[in-house]
Amino acid sequence: MAEIKENIKSRLVIKAVRNVRRGDVNESAERGMYRPDIKLDLQRSRLMTASYKATDGKPMIMRRAKAFENILANMDLYIQDWERIVGSNVSFPQGLYFGIDMNWRSVERIVRGKEGQSLLDEKGRSELKAMIDYWKGKSMSDRQQTLFTGPILKYWKYEGTFLWTHWSELGIPDYEMIFRVGLKGIIQEAETRLAEIDTVVPADYLEQKEFLNSAIIALKALIRFANRYAVMAREMAARTVEAEHKKRLLEIAETCEWVPENPPRTFLEALQSFFFIHVGRYVEYSTLGIGVRFDKIFGSYYEQDISDGRLTREEALEILQLLWVKFHELGLVYSPMLSGIYGGVESLQAITVGGVDQDGNDITNEMTYLVLETAQSMKTLEPSIAMRYHEGTPDKLLHKAAEVMHEGIGYPSMFNDKGLIPTLRKWDVPLEDARDYAVTGCVYIEIPGKNIARRAHGALVLPKCLWWALHSGINPENNEQWGAKTPDPAEFSSVNDILAAYLDQVRFFFGRMTKIENICRSLYETYLPRPFYSAVLEGCIEKGRDTRRWAYPSMVHDFVVIIGATNVVDSLSAIKRVVFENKLVTLPELIEIMDRNWEGHEEIRQACINAPKYGNDDEYVDLMARDVHYGTSSVLAEFSDRFGNPLRGDGSGVSATYGLAYHTPATPDGRKNADAFSDATLSPSQGSDFKGPTAVLKSAAKIDTEKTYNHLLNQKFLPSMLEGDMRDVFVSYLRTWGDMEISHIQFNVVDKETLLDAQKHPENYSDMIVRVAGYSAYFVDLSKGLQDSIIRRTEQTFE
Amino acid sequence: MTDSGDKGLVFNIQRFSVHDGPGIRTTVFFKGCPLRCLWCSNPESQDYRQTLIVRDMTCTACGKCVAVCPLKAISIDENSGRRIDWSKCNQCLRCVEACMYSSLNRCGDYMTVAEIIKEVARDTLFYKNSGGGVTISGGEPLLQHAFLMKLLPVCKDSGYHVALDTTGFASREVIKSILPYVDLVLFDIKHLDDETHRKLTGVGNKAILSNLREVAKASNIWLRVPLIEGLNDSAEEIEKIGKLAKAVGAEKVSLLPYHEGGVSKSYQIGREYLIPKAKPPSAQYIESLKCLLLKMGVKATVGS
Ligand code: SF4
Ligand code: SF4
Repeated sequence: MAEIKENIKSRLVIKAVRNVRRGDVNESAERGMYRPDIKLDLQRSRLMTASYKATDGKPMIMRRAKAFENILANMDLYIQDWERIVGSNVSFPQGLYFGIDMNWRSVERIVRGKEGQSLLDEKGRSELKAMIDYWKGKSMSDRQQTLFTGPILKYWKYEGTFLWTHWSELGIPDYEMIFRVGLKGIIQEAETRLAEIDTVVPADYLEQKEFLNSAIIALKALIRFANRYAVMAREMAARTVEAEHKKRLLEIAETCEWVPENPPRTFLEALQSFFFIHVGRYVEYSTLGIGVRFDKIFGSYYEQDISDGRLTREEALEILQLLWVKFHELGLVYSPMLSGIYGGVESLQAITVGGVDQDGNDITNEMTYLVLETAQSMKTLEPSIAMRYHEGTPDKLLHKAAEVMHEGIGYPSMFNDKGLIPTLRKWDVPLEDARDYAVTGCVYIEIPGKNIARRAHGALVLPKCLWWALHSGINPENNEQWGAKTPDPAEFSSVNDILAAYLDQVRFFFGRMTKIENICRSLYETYLPRPFYSAVLEGCIEKGRDTRRWAYPSMVHDFVVIIGATNVVDSLSAIKRVVFENKLVTLPELIEIMDRNWEGHEEIRQACINAPKYGNDDEYVDLMARDVHYGTSSVLAEFSDRFGNPLRGDGSGVSATYGLAYHTPATPDGRKNADAFSDATLSPSQGSDFKGPTAVLKSAAKIDTEKTYNHLLNQKFLPSMLEGDMRDVFVSYLRTWGDMEISHIQFNVVDKETLLDAQKHPENYSDMIVRVAGYSAYFVDLSKGLQDSIIRRTEQTFE
Repeated sequence: MTDSGDKGLVFNIQRFSVHDGPGIRTTVFFKGCPLRCLWCSNPESQDYRQTLIVRDMTCTACGKCVAVCPLKAISIDENSGRRIDWSKCNQCLRCVEACMYSSLNRCGDYMTVAEIIKEVARDTLFYKNSGGGVTISGGEPLLQHAFLMKLLPVCKDSGYHVALDTTGFASREVIKSILPYVDLVLFDIKHLDDETHRKLTGVGNKAILSNLREVAKASNIWLRVPLIEGLNDSAEEIEKIGKLAKAVGAEKVSLLPYHEGGVSKSYQIGREYLIPKAKPPSAQYIESLKCLLLKMGVKATVGS
């Protein structure tokens, strides 16, 4: 058994991006953004360009459907010897997906520069150039750039307070519906709807008709794509002598003839159907994440196969391992700037296990354990496993989870139904839907099958907002009024005054960011409709409207990643202690010292560092943390998306807590210019939690998820903590975390010495995985600074 | 300061303590100890006063401490930074107030029952889920017996599982009076031979062993055996301890491999560390000692 697993692991293709930038400065471009065997795949771009040329003048949704069809009908397929589940969003295993329709500029730069030279050869480069000539003025970033004017244009340019990007979308298709009726069932429904509108003739007749026709094209395209694999597998089988291999190929042929067109009949068919839909979503548009509640969706297929004697447990495990390899083929190209935010990511795929069903009953089944065993045996970057916790989560499952965490891969990461379901209810999600939430990637919470084409449109750097508040919004370099015009710091007489000015700055910058995003979303609606994704969601066919033209009525939607909340908290605490209480310096003096990066005033910096810090169960500062989070979240909610849903933050700091910190000068918490921020919304600043892991939870629990947003909390534990008798203690720690209703927690289970040694001898640790934020990455892929910030996380040990 | 019982002298309150009894616990460490174990890993706990403890790493050589020391015990040296002549220091702690960089610190706080309970209460939820509670440790906590007689009833009333970590070196009356408030006694056994015990710890073990029998009548016991290579780790000795464990009905024997914590701490309080070459026995050997105990029918664990 072990031998087979090793064998399977060797087939992994690693498409993780190495971070080469911090903010907009080069950090380590020379080592390249990708491993040398990874190549940019131009086929999708080529086929899309050809289709766009041929459909000029047609309605955009039809053009998108036709382009999707053209890609799926003509892209080269591959079936590797060992595969039992097939499909890819690229035409060869080492290929890297690239959305020329979104943003070609950064890719053009990457392949010319050091970071991506190996991605394309000369021929490829010139073909890319020719294609770009067509897309100039037509890609999303072109359209957006010509549309942004005035203050919008001014604030779009990144200066360190917020970063807005065309980042990929997430979203979870309605797999339960798809498995029930097959794509053919959806096609039938669309056809029925077409007939209906011909009799009723609604006001938006044309729009509906174009949408429904496009959806049918897209669905049929995916069925034919599957059938092409069937044909290919049969041809290969005819040429294959080796019996086992031949059998696998014929099995592929039969499977791909049946799904995704028809409802799956077996576990294997269900996985294959799912994977085709997943790939379809990735091909249509630049997307990320998975989100499927794996045990809930696949558990019954597995159990049926077992009771029918079609499948053994070992075989199921092997099929899952093979699927894990396939997940890894779905990487995508990042821009260098984004590499600083998503250092080490492939495509941020997470699957969800555990939790309750729509009626509130625990869903744990054998598949839950199989998923964990697969993760344990494969130890891959992706998919990350999001485990939902509730009171009824079996002890046995928690022990298994601890065993997998002990591998050091950073997951399963834990999500708390007790914190998140009430929060979703607060966001107007009906109870049944709230109970069905899933995690697509990082800590992104979504509702399977609902029209939530969410994206994180960027990152808001909260300590920079505080910094503006300490400078009246004036850029000291040129005296320009850049941020909100808040009072002169000399007038602040309490921490509350500063907090108010900080919130004004948040309001100012987030307001601008929201305008940019809302403009862009209307561009997406016009130029990037998604007929395929719409068709596999609940409600689009029924309404005859594309996913982008309406929205699931809840603020679960779009969010902004908020960075560095803890640094704001610790800064306010330091000001309170050092300026207002101990009166060591005045506030203007402190700002001046801080702006000189503390030079010559180490004693003041030490006094700031020694002020109470969040994460130690100390009310003095934890209550400020509450004010900062509650204040920030209500300012964000003052703004809404195009459909009127209030906006919100998201605790996923990704690696932006390091990458984007570059453009924030020194802050009052004693942090120096450009130093990394605390690594997540609920995490203490690195090395600032002295009171141990129970105190960290006590601090975190004071910030009510319901009043804020979904959070992320990192903890670093020594491996011994999860071993032997200690595992019981660890599980009880998890249960207490659950009782405290904290929305999330995850663990890096590794000792500092190992990490330090890995920095010294990267060659010995090429496959060592660590948790960065809501995802795991190969330690060696991360830049030195990001590695350091992980090493500096406080190690929770037992005394 | 005498033990009037209004305040206890505590040098650390350790939350998430999981090696000092079952579950997740908070351990309250009391300052002052009548023993002088050669391997002591918390030598700062021995002196029954507030004392000075230094951290060289954070010193910026600013010199503020030099100016305030009435006994001229501190000097700043170009190369090695701030130095303390411990033979001159009388623990007045004025320098602690002067140091802005937490390089000179006070070890030991006088705390009231309410203050301690406030800290202990913070992790109540964790105790519930893990079967944990509060552990009273030291130094030798029984030295502050009058204070414990105020603290422990409150712990009991609050529903905490109470463990007492003790050297057993106290009067019979003290021990007897405390037992009603204790659910578990972590009883240190360092050596069973009286003379050797005196060499290793500064005191003989007769009183200790007779106290152990007294404790056994009233409380659950875990015997805790620090293991230092060559000093007390012979199979013979462990077998004797195993027999003792059976005789007093101990729930288990915890083998605690020596660790070097005391080396740097001795430096930090200006003491000479007497056994700089001490080592724990090898992991393999410890495992064999554990097996030996298990074979005798004595439950044994390593490290906690
Ligand atoms: S006051 Fe503190 S930092 Fe300054 S020399 Fe003394 S010990 Fe060092
Ligand atoms: S504690 Fe010792 S070193 Fe410090 S001021 Fe007093 S005598 Fe001097």
